[in-house]
Amino acid sequence: MSTPDDLASLLREGFDLEPADPITVDRSRVVELARSLKGIGFEYFSYCAAAHYPATDADPDRTVVEYRLRRLPKDEVAFRVWVPTGETTPSLCGVFAGADWQEREQYDLVGTVFADHPDLRRIMLPEDWEGHPLRRDYAIDTRHHPWR
Amino acid sequence: MAVDESGQAFHHPIYSFLEKMPGLSLGLTTADQLLTWGSSNSLFIFPMATSCCGIEFMAASSGRFDLDQIGSIPRGTPRQSDVMVIAGTITVKMAPRVKKLWDQMPEPKWAIAMGSCAISGDFYRDIYSVVPGVDTFMPIDVYVPGCPPNPDQLFAGLRRLQEKIRAKRNGEWTDPELRPDTPGLRSPNLPRVGDPRREASLDEAQLDAVMNLDPGGGMLRSGDKS
Repeated sequence: MSTPDDLASLLREGFDLEPADPITVDRSRVVELARSLKGIGFEYFSYCAAAHYPATDADPDRTVVEYRLRRLPKDEVAFRVWVPTGETTPSLCGVFAGADWQEREQYDLVGTVFADHPDLRRIMLPEDWEGHPLRRDYAIDTRHHPWR
Repeated sequence: MAVDESGQAFHHPIYSFLEKMPGLSLGLTTADQLLTWGSSNSLFIFPMATSCCGIEFMAASSGRFDLDQIGSIPRGTPRQSDVMVIAGTITVKMAPRVKKLWDQMPEPKWAIAMGSCAISGDFYRDIYSVVPGVDTFMPIDVYVPGCPPNPDQLFAGLRRLQEKIRAKRNGEWTDPELRPDTPGLRSPNLPRVGDPRREASLDEAQLDAVMNLDPGGGMLRSGDKS
């Protein structure tokens, strides 16, 4: 996938980032980056996904959140944010309204906390669920009364 | 008398009143047969279709297989239905909703568990969010095994239910329907999580493998294939 010129220049001049797939961006600038990308036509919020990485010698226990935007018909850009467990990342709901439920899903399953999210509740699991099942440290045989 | 052995399923105050009237037993028997014939041949179905078994159910209810030929019509509301066909995986979040809809159905009512997910959870059984069989929270009359069962098998299940209704009304049915035992179909090499025969070292090894995945899920690399 070739990077469009306007995207490359926006990333290099505005954010001091190299085009990549995905781009890794600091949490403090992610909303600004999303708004700038929306400004040059990346208006289609494709998805928001998250994954949990347990602590290693080099890195703390953390989750990664990846966003992917598209400019129809064919350009797309992905950027990801690393969030140490216990900290928060800004929500993109202010830029893309479609991020609302997708960020709720990531909170529900992976446990990433999005600051400034208007309605950060569980969306897929029952409301009284304990824990976030897609975390690597979630015991796979966790009991849930009365069915397990 | 039109009451099964437990005396619960078909009880109605009018029966106890009519029983006291002299000479009505012959008429009651005839009426009872008529009621049995009617209820077993007009099974209105509430399709609790949550996944791919629902597609097979749709095929069964549409023109080519034609559920109408045995008097079964899918209804969109539990209040007008006699049979709940649970077609698909039921999750922990869905289970209270299924139970609520089941409770909304008027007596007499029956339930069919269609497909291996509804019967036992099948290979989703050990997932954190899946109910291991709908008979853990509601009664099931007929099990229709298959993944998914094709429309013919669903028809066989409905005929089985008709037989069961007639036998129950005649007082011939005593055994509860058993979850089908399919030896060899899904017998895992290692005992599953929660099985008392499972060794603790297996759990540790599995947890260790999961915790030591490289960033990006590096257990399988393109270079490993050659």
